[in-house]
Amino acid sequence: MQGTKVVRPFPFFRAGARASQPQLAKPILVLEGVYKFFRPDQPTLREVGLSVERGEFVFITGPSGAGKSTLLKLIYRELRVDEGRVLFCGRDIGRLTDKSIPFLRRNLGIVFQDFRIIDHWTVFENVAVALEILSMPQRLIRSRVAEALERVGLAGRGPEQTSNLSGGEKQRVAVARAIVPEPALILADEPTGNLDPHLAIDILTLFEEINSTGTTVLFATHDHSLISKRDHRLIAIDEGRVVEAQQGLKHWPGSGIHTLVG
Amino acid sequence: MDVKSAFTRARRGLREERRLYIVAVTSLSVAFLCLGATLLGLTNLDAAATRWGQSGRITLFLKDDADPQDIAQLRVVLEGLGDVDELTHVTPAEARASFIEEADVGADLSSLPSEVFPASLEVTLVSGVTRERSESIATRLAQFRAVNDVESYGSWFQKLDHLLWGARMLAAGLAVLVMFCVVAVIGNTIRLAVARRRQEIEVMKLCGATNGFVRGPFVLEGMFQGFASALLALLALLAGYLALHEEVDSTLAALTGSRVVFLGIWTLLGLLIGGAVIGAIGSALSVRRYLSV
Repeated sequence: MQGTKVVRPFPFFRAGARASQPQLAKPILVLEGVYKFFRPDQPTLREVGLSVERGEFVFITGPSGAGKSTLLKLIYRELRVDEGRVLFCGRDIGRLTDKSIPFLRRNLGIVFQDFRIIDHWTVFENVAVALEILSMPQRLIRSRVAEALERVGLAGRGPEQTSNLSGGEKQRVAVARAIVPEPALILADEPTGNLDPHLAIDILTLFEEINSTGTTVLFATHDHSLISKRDHRLIAIDEGRVVEAQQGLKHWPGSGIHTLVG
Repeated sequence: MDVKSAFTRARRGLREERRLYIVAVTSLSVAFLCLGATLLGLTNLDAAATRWGQSGRITLFLKDDADPQDIAQLRVVLEGLGDVDELTHVTPAEARASFIEEADVGADLSSLPSEVFPASLEVTLVSGVTRERSESIATRLAQFRAVNDVESYGSWFQKLDHLLWGARMLAAGLAVLVMFCVVAVIGNTIRLAVARRRQEIEVMKLCGATNGFVRGPFVLEGMFQGFASALLALLALLAGYLALHEEVDSTLAALTGSRVVFLGIWTLLGLLIGGAVIGAIGSALSVRRYLSV
């Protein structure tokens, strides 16, 4: 009966709720024996198990189609696990009801390769939407958006039309939107995929700055050059399986990783 | 759902999709205009029927050779009835003069034979007398010796009732048709708007928006379209009424004795609120299937 039990929205996932001390002591994200099938005979993810502590910066890497995006989609519940468990703040998000998913996502900041910002909205509107969802007062929204734009290097550019921005600036707007509700975890799905190497480093640095304030970051990328520049924990996915290094690419035990992430 | 935020986003949606919404509101106004015009006809028919029904009348056509004493006795009986409000004796000459004046056909009617205009007693009943009571009085009066024929206008009321029933059915049918029309047009308009704003919905859902938050502005936009269409149709109907009512009034007064009236306040409110509610329903139904982004 355990598997069919209906899970109501967790108090922690409700706007304004804070994690209790026991919750803070646990890893923020745990995946246990996760399987995801799109074809019955060929799992996209197989027996995935990993644990992410609060405040960590983790690279998720692997060749295109390895299952990086699928893994992230399981975390923000665009997809549901077929086997195993995904625990966010100690709660099994695979068992959340559809009505609870928005409350889960309010604790996450999600950034994509294609930015997913609305071109005919202003920079302010694109960032403010994440707070309007939380029914925050306009005065507070204005100050929080201004603060977020300052953090991503777009101070004072709120009234500008987003369509006039460069690719790097658009991605900064997307990052501002992700961080403005102060989420517990940021999921970045190939956020530098559409940017040139110089801008990619800028965006990576921006995520590191965000991480330095205590926000956990999962940064999915297949860009070998980007990973090699940093010593963050590295989780590699290949053919649905997870291999990981605690201290980045330089400390990888063997040369196989170059083939894997190249 | 934050209502203020929903209104702000709905206003933005209406601004961004204004061309689409103008086309939809114009089409729906035509549908509402048809319904409004039917209701206007029904209202006037109803008003005429009510007026006739309330001014209960019986005409006693007297025999040409009726004894004046019998007529006097009949008058005494009638004046003694509590249901009778007024009693008028119309002589053949008065009947002829009245007909020639009211008919206004432009032909010489003075040569009509005298038997065409018999003497009569016009009985006006007090208000509130039911048709059944009126029929019963007429039946009793027909038995008096001086009375040749009695007209209680029962058959006219019956015909009017049938006409009213038909008009009500027509209005009800049209109302259902308009309702489906509004749901379909607004549903499709919102569907187009949703398709064009799919990316916005996707972004909002990824930021943790509930279905209510996403649905809110679309429902408000549908509500506005329904309300605006009904309002536009009623304004057009009012303009038509103001332009034509003087001309129609005199004709109708001559035919039915009643004047043209515009739709009542409750009908107006019903159309406006109904338009808004149906618009909101149509919109909510069409957005529902797009919420699983």
